Amino acid sequence: MNIYLREMKSSRKSLFIWCIAMIVFIAAAMGKYAASSYVSGQSLNDIISKMPEAVKSMFGADRFDLSKAIGFYGAMFIYVVLMAAIHASLIGSNIISKEEDDKTAEFLMSKPVSRAKVITSKLLAAITNIAVFNIITMLSSIYFVGYYSKGENVTDDVIRLMIGVLFLQLIFMSLGLCFSAFLKNPKLASPCTVGIMLATYILSLAIDINSHLSGLKYLTPFKYFDAKNLIYEKGFEIIYIVLSVLIISVFIFAAYVFYQKRDLKI
Amino acid sequence: MNVIEVNNLTKYYGKSRGIIDVSFDVEEGEIFGFIGPNGAGKSTTIRILLSLIYPTSGSAKIFGKDCINYGPEIKKDIGYLPSEVFYYDNMKVIDLLKYSASFYKKDCSKRIKELSEMMDLDLNKRIDDLSYGNRKKVGILQGLLHEPKLLILDEPTSGLDPLMQQRFFNLLREENKKGVTILFSSHILSEVQKLCNRVAIIKEGRIISLEKISTLRENSYKKVTIEVNSPVKGEYFSIDGVSNLEMKDNTISFLFKGDTNLIVKKIAEISISDVTIEEPSLEEIFMHYYTRG
Repeated sequence: MNIYLREMKSSRKSLFIWCIAMIVFIAAAMGKYAASSYVSGQSLNDIISKMPEAVKSMFGADRFDLSKAIGFYGAMFIYVVLMAAIHASLIGSNIISKEEDDKTAEFLMSKPVSRAKVITSKLLAAITNIAVFNIITMLSSIYFVGYYSKGENVTDDVIRLMIGVLFLQLIFMSLGLCFSAFLKNPKLASPCTVGIMLATYILSLAIDINSHLSGLKYLTPFKYFDAKNLIYEKGFEIIYIVLSVLIISVFIFAAYVFYQKRDLKI
Repeated sequence: MNVIEVNNLTKYYGKSRGIIDVSFDVEEGEIFGFIGPNGAGKSTTIRILLSLIYPTSGSAKIFGKDCINYGPEIKKDIGYLPSEVFYYDNMKVIDLLKYSASFYKKDCSKRIKELSEMMDLDLNKRIDDLSYGNRKKVGILQGLLHEPKLLILDEPTSGLDPLMQQRFFNLLREENKKGVTILFSSHILSEVQKLCNRVAIIKEGRIISLEKISTLRENSYKKVTIEVNSPVKGEYFSIDGVSNLEMKDNTISFLFKGDTNLIVKKIAEISISDVTIEEPSLEEIFMHYYTRG
């Protein structure tokens, strides 16, 4: 409990800043929607329909109805996802390795506490951080999208989207945790995690643009909880939920195993 | 009873040497010195004892329990002062000490007050703002506040001014009187000499000597300085028992351990202008261990 509280205390400032950034981002994005819907006579959909496929795919315009608030939100949702993924990657890869980076590992680990317990406490702290990030983003989305949606109920859609984000956050957090437990040089944990996260993101973009690549969709978590599916079509697909749970458990299990076996870098 | 038992510990970091085949025991209630130059393997040994790193081979026991399998349990009764003290940023001294105390299931607030007064440490300062010596005091406090049965100190005095060193040594002696066993690592011999009962000397990863301080102090070593009239070949004094042999112009000096008659005869056979035979300082004895070759 003491380690958990210590972690919460040390991360509260950065968490607060992240949350503020998310609120501002969502407010600004939905503000743009309001502005775009005033474009005289011509709707945003018409302008975008004239753009090349690749550009459309980048904006998500081929999949969303941009004239509706929830459609506009869905199109820019990928940025929410990316920020959540970055936040989760950093939290996951730093929460263990920072003790070694800051040379506090020698202090902590000479206390009567097992390494497993240290991981458990830190894991809980990381999950709390992620959950707070998620809930704040969800509430501000519900508020701002709802504000512009002219009475349409958007709450269910937003909740579905944010549950998808939660899985994604957990995947990248556990990846970071696993890296920091495994790598002999803990400084490398966060660049590795963020690097892989961005690589899978780029892969997901490539899949959007080139349909021949769609077989690779299992390799990138960004495809597991596709905003379009969650809003318009199938909802959650069992296969991806199973896959996510599997990935998360394997990474976390590996983190426990590796961290208990390796020498601390002091 | 042995508080620490170290059996054939070997540690390699990849291919580079940490320690090789280190064995020693520390008895209950003793102050045990662990002496060696920087990089000899003192910290490596200590970190294995605390299971911060794992040995390549060999094992170690503390309080009769394997230090890897029973790590968290035995650490309840260990106080550890690392050689380099870094603590969490943005923390006040008192916050760190409370955090440290929270790992032990006892109330340490009285002890914190006592110790901080003794060591003259301001509890309300931020650790970032402290000088190196004052951080060291924080280290000492966090190592002692839970009244451990075993203290492991890795070069504890660096950064402390002489007055604080004195207080710290008195504190250690008091603790020792209460029955606390102390493992004291240092590269400064004189401080070990003041405090310890026995010393292990480690050099290049190996224990090269394990002796009582009193034995070391006995007149077994002679420091011999000779002024010769005509140059003598280097091998002349290279006999058993001679160490630290130095020749500069006509002056020859060395340490001798063994039958005094032998060396006196040796000296008598050459033409000399002056000779002194005296008791060496412990430093000089140790230089013989420290220097290479």
